[in-house]
Amino acid sequence: MSECESIQESIGRWLDGEMPASESESVRAHVARCTDCGEARRRLEKMQIALKSVLAAETTPIEFMPFWRAVERRISEKSAWYEDWLDRARGLFTAPRLAWAVPVAIGLLLVLFSTDGWRFGGSRGNFASVESIDAYGRSVALLRQNESKTTVIWLYQDQEGDNEAADDSAKTAPAF
Amino acid sequence: MSAFQELVSRYHQKVYMVILGLLRNREDALDVAQETFFRAYRKIQSFQGGSSFYTWIYRIAVNLAIDAQRRQKRNPLDFRESMDGVLEAQNEVAKDPFSDVHDKELRENMIKAINDLTPEHKAVIVLRTIEGLSYKDIGEILGCSEGTVMSRLHYARKKLHDKLSAFL
Repeated sequence: MSECESIQESIGRWLDGEMPASESESVRAHVARCTDCGEARRRLEKMQIALKSVLAAETTPIEFMPFWRAVERRISEKSAWYEDWLDRARGLFTAPRLAWAVPVAIGLLLVLFSTDGWRFGGSRGNFASVESIDAYGRSVALLRQNESKTTVIWLYQDQEGDNEAADDSAKTAPAF
Repeated sequence: MSAFQELVSRYHQKVYMVILGLLRNREDALDVAQETFFRAYRKIQSFQGGSSFYTWIYRIAVNLAIDAQRRQKRNPLDFRESMDGVLEAQNEVAKDPFSDVHDKELRENMIKAINDLTPEHKAVIVLRTIEGLSYKDIGEILGCSEGTVMSRLHYARKKLHDKLSAFL
């Protein structure tokens, strides 16, 4: 990346005042002497002014008392007993947390199985296991073949109606 | 005046402005602002002194506004008419800062470009432009790092710039 490209990448941060003093001084000096970067600064400033005008144009002051009465009305309306619980449950099952849950579950299973091997002096044979992760048919299968030292982690979701078949196959370990 | 009422009186305007910046519709913004304070009242015991009250209340507001924005099924035409209606109601048209034709085009395209931003990009733009908040505060409100705020702001501005380059 050329110096100009690097400066133009950071002009926004510089104009926002979010840059350490020494870096800020070097950007200022470059922008002062470089026509292209000076032009980039001018365009960004013009865009910021337009943006601020557009966003500010629609804001009208709102009267406090009618606003407060509406808030008070919501507070005084008795909420259903389950709403608090739903709020808390929503907090627990956010997407990032669920995204972490799957690798953590796989990691725990791997740790569990490796500990098992260590405790019993190491498994010499092949190994297969199917574990259900949740109530929605998502499962993880671990297939390990010691000869080739290959472990396959298979994450899958049962289709509706196939659950019974999946349960049956889980009971019988797949052959390698 | 109760302590909570005092808090509402101090922050209602700012909260409303941020939500309006995100939703671009006054009725929806008013509804979400009222819901914000209602939720704040219910969750006030979960407020911890670690963050300031305004970052906490903004976090509730921005999350509700982003949810509302995802549900919002308004088309850009409704949105532009809504903007013009507001300007007329304010008698702002006469002292419109975009007085010449070129700048009016810039404004119209700016509105479209803002509307095309993702909720996350719009949130950083609004919090920075309207409230002038630091990257650190924006990160606290949106639950992400300062680096993520910096990156989102950079890409949001780049998107706006690309769509408006003919007018700048």
